[in-house]
Amino acid sequence: MPPLTPIKSRHDAPKNTIAMRAAAPTTCLLIRGGRVIDPASRLDKVCDIAVDGGVITAIGKKLPAPPGTRILDAAGMFVTPGLIDPHVHLREPGHEYKETIETGTAAAAAGGFTSVCCMPNTSPAIDTPELVRFIYDRANLTARCRVFPVAAGTKGRKGLEIAEIQLLHRAGAVAFSDDGDCIASAQVMSRVFAAVSQTGSTFMQHCQETTLTQGASMHAGTVSARLGLTGWPRMAEEIIIERDVRLLRHLRSPCRYHAQHISSAGSIDIIRQARRDGLPVTGEASPHHLLLTHDLCEGYNTLAKVNPPLRESIDVNALVEGVADGTITILGTDHAPHSAEEKSLPFEDAPMGLVGLEFALPLYAEALVHSGAITWPRLIALLTVEPAQLCGLNVLGLGSLKVDAPADITIIDPNAKWTIDPAKMVGKSKNTPLAGRKLTGRAITTIVGGVIVNAE
Amino acid sequence: MRPMVKPRREKARSNTRWSSKDLIGLQGVPADEIRALLFASRAYVDVRSDVEDSVLHGTTIANLFFEDSTRTRTSFTTAAHRLRAHVSNLLGAFSSVTKGETLIDTARNVEAMGVRALVIRARQAGAAGLIAANVKCPVINAGDGRHEHPTQGLLDIYTLAEANGRLDDFDMKGLTVAIVGDIVSSRVARSNIAGLTALGARVICVGPAGLAPRSLESLGGRGGAVTVTHELDEVLPKVDAVMMLRVQFERHDGGADAQGKSSPAIASVREYRSLFGMTAERADRLKNGAVVMHPGPINRGIELDPEVADGPRSVILRQVTVGVGVRMAVLETCARALD
Repeated sequence: MPPLTPIKSRHDAPKNTIAMRAAAPTTCLLIRGGRVIDPASRLDKVCDIAVDGGVITAIGKKLPAPPGTRILDAAGMFVTPGLIDPHVHLREPGHEYKETIETGTAAAAAGGFTSVCCMPNTSPAIDTPELVRFIYDRANLTARCRVFPVAAGTKGRKGLEIAEIQLLHRAGAVAFSDDGDCIASAQVMSRVFAAVSQTGSTFMQHCQETTLTQGASMHAGTVSARLGLTGWPRMAEEIIIERDVRLLRHLRSPCRYHAQHISSAGSIDIIRQARRDGLPVTGEASPHHLLLTHDLCEGYNTLAKVNPPLRESIDVNALVEGVADGTITILGTDHAPHSAEEKSLPFEDAPMGLVGLEFALPLYAEALVHSGAITWPRLIALLTVEPAQLCGLNVLGLGSLKVDAPADITIIDPNAKWTIDPAKMVGKSKNTPLAGRKLTGRAITTIVGGVIVNAE
Repeated sequence: MRPMVKPRREKARSNTRWSSKDLIGLQGVPADEIRALLFASRAYVDVRSDVEDSVLHGTTIANLFFEDSTRTRTSFTTAAHRLRAHVSNLLGAFSSVTKGETLIDTARNVEAMGVRALVIRARQAGAAGLIAANVKCPVINAGDGRHEHPTQGLLDIYTLAEANGRLDDFDMKGLTVAIVGDIVSSRVARSNIAGLTALGARVICVGPAGLAPRSLESLGGRGGAVTVTHELDEVLPKVDAVMMLRVQFERHDGGADAQGKSSPAIASVREYRSLFGMTAERADRLKNGAVVMHPGPINRGIELDPEVADGPRSVILRQVTVGVGVRMAVLETCARALD
C-alpha cells in the first residue's frame, strides 16, 4: 500500500471514471420519444434526451440528431435516471469465487443499475482508506457501472473499536456499516454514531440482536417448528432499531441512520414513529422481503435462506404498506452471491443470502406498482433520488436527469414479459429461489456516463 | 415375556404400500403408509434369529453416523445382521461435519462401494433428505438434527399400540400421549407427533416454556391434535402414556455443558426435576394401564427416577426390543421398494 497522503476533502477521492472497457464508447446518443420520468426534478413527460461526452446535453422535445449520433428509440418506454442500489455485496476482495466487482457490476448493469454501494464484509473488511481506494481502483479497471464503497464502522467489523471514520469518509466511503453483523455494544454504537455524524454521512445498521438468534437459520414460526430449525424471531430486529433510535434521540446531533433489509412488521412501526418525531431515520426494503414468505424454506430450500429471514404475509403486507405511506424510502437488493457448493450444504450450514440485481426492478414493480401500492414515478424515485441522497451521490449529480449531469440513464420497458432463468444470468453466482418466476417489466438499456453497459 | 411372533410377511390390511426407497421422516406421510411400515414390523418384532428370505441377504448396509450414537447404531446393526446383511460402520470423525459437500461426497463414495442401503445420523436437520436426493440407494434417517428420527417414532408407536392391544389395526384414536421435556430440541418428539396424530392419537407436549413453547401446537395442524402445557401434574391422570425425553444439554445454544448438566434453557436440574421429573409419586398418579416410555439414553434422577424406569409401568426395554424389529422391517421394505 502507498503511504497515506493528506486529503483535504472527500472530493479528492477518486472520481469513479469507470473503464467500461467491454462496451464500445459512444460519444453522442439521442434517446428519442420515451416517457422521461425524473422524480428529482418532477419531470414526467414524453421527450428526448441528448447525451454527448458522457453528460446530458439537452432534455426536450424534438431534439436534433447531429451526424454520428446513435439514436435509441424509446417510444413506449420509461427513460429514468440510472437506478441506484445502496446495498450489494460484490465479494471483492477475498471471496472472488462468489462474485467480483466485474461480475457483480455486470449483473447490476443487466438489471438497470448504474450505481451500486458495496458492503464492507469482504476479506479483509473495508475498514481502512487504503481498502476504500482499492475498491475504487478495481472498479475503475473492471466495473460495468459505478461502485461506491460503504466502509466498516468498526475495525474489522468486530464491533469493538471504531474505525477511522473521518479518513474513510475522506477517502470516498459513501456510508458506514458493519453489514452482516450488528454492532452489539450500545457504547460502541453511540461512538460510531457520533463519528459518522461528524462526516455528515449515514450509518447503515444490520439490525440483529444476536443473543436472540444463536444458531438460527430461518424465521421463528410454524415452518421452523416443523423442520426442527432454530428460529430467528422478529424481536431480534426490532430491539436493535428501538435501541438505535433511542441512542439517536439522546445525541445532540444525530447522524443519519438507515435500517437495512427490514423484515418485520414491528420494525416499520418504530421507524414510522421516529420519522414522525423528525429523526433522520430511513428504512430499507428488499425485493425478497416484499414478496416472499418462510414457506419457501420448505424442504430445506437453502436458496431461500437469507438474513434477516423471509417471514410471514403480515410482514410482507406491512412492508408494502410502509413503502406506500412513505415510511420506507429506500429499496436495496442485498444482492448476496454464494456458490452452488455452499448452497448445497445442509440448511443449517449453508450461508445466508440470495442474488437480486438482475431482476430486482420487475420484482419491485410486482410488489409495489402492480399491487397498486405506489405509482411507477414513485418507484423510480425510490430507486434514484432517494438512495442518491442517502449516500450523498446527489452531490455528484447522480440520481436525477439534469443538463450537464453525468449521463447515467436507464431505459425501462414496463410491459416486457420474461422469466428468471439462472442459465442466462450474468452474475457469477445464481443463488435465487425464484428460477422460473414470470416477470413483467425490464431494464432494456443501461447507460453509465454516456456508455451503454448492458449491451448483449 | 410377550408371545413370540413367527416370522411371516403380513398382508397389510389396507391397499397402501410403503412406496419410497427412503424413510426420511413421518411428517406429511399418509396414515396408510405409516401403517404399512407398522404392519410389516409385526413379522420381525421378537424375531431372535436370522430371517431366511431377506432381499438384503449377503448385501452390505452402511451406517453413516456423522454424530455419535451407540444404541441406535447397534439397533440398526443388529437388524441388518438378522437380515443376514453385512454392516459397514463409518463413524463421527471420518468426515468433517462442517462441510455438507463432504456429506454428499461421502455418501456417494460409500454408495459407489456397492452398499445396498445407507443409514444416516447427522447433526444437521435435513441432512438425510439431502443425501437421499443425491444417491440412488435407499436412505434411512437415523436422526437428523432436531428434525426427525422416524424409526424411533415408529417403534414408539408400535410399543404403544402393543400396550393398548391395537396391533391389528394401529388405529390410535382415543389415545392421548404426553411427551414430556425438551421437545423443541427433540427429533424423536417431531417423529412421534407426526406419526401419532396421523394415526388418530392426541399429543400433549409438556415442559418448561423454553423447551415446550406454545408454537409447537402448530405441529398438530388446525385440528388441535397437539396441545402444549407447562403443568405435568395436571396431565398425569388424563394420558395413556408418558414419553419422557432426555434434556438435550448438548443441543441448547449458548454454552450448554453436557458434563455439568447445565443449560441456558432451564434454571437448574433441581427445578426441572421438581416440575417435570417422573418420580415414583407422579407415576402413581397415572391412570391404570398407562405406560412410561423413554427413547434413551436416560438421565436417571433428572427426567426419570430409577424406580419408574425399572418399574411395572415402564416399557422402555420393550421399546428397545421392538426397535430392532421395526428397523428390520424398514430396511427390508425400503430395499424392496427399489426392486
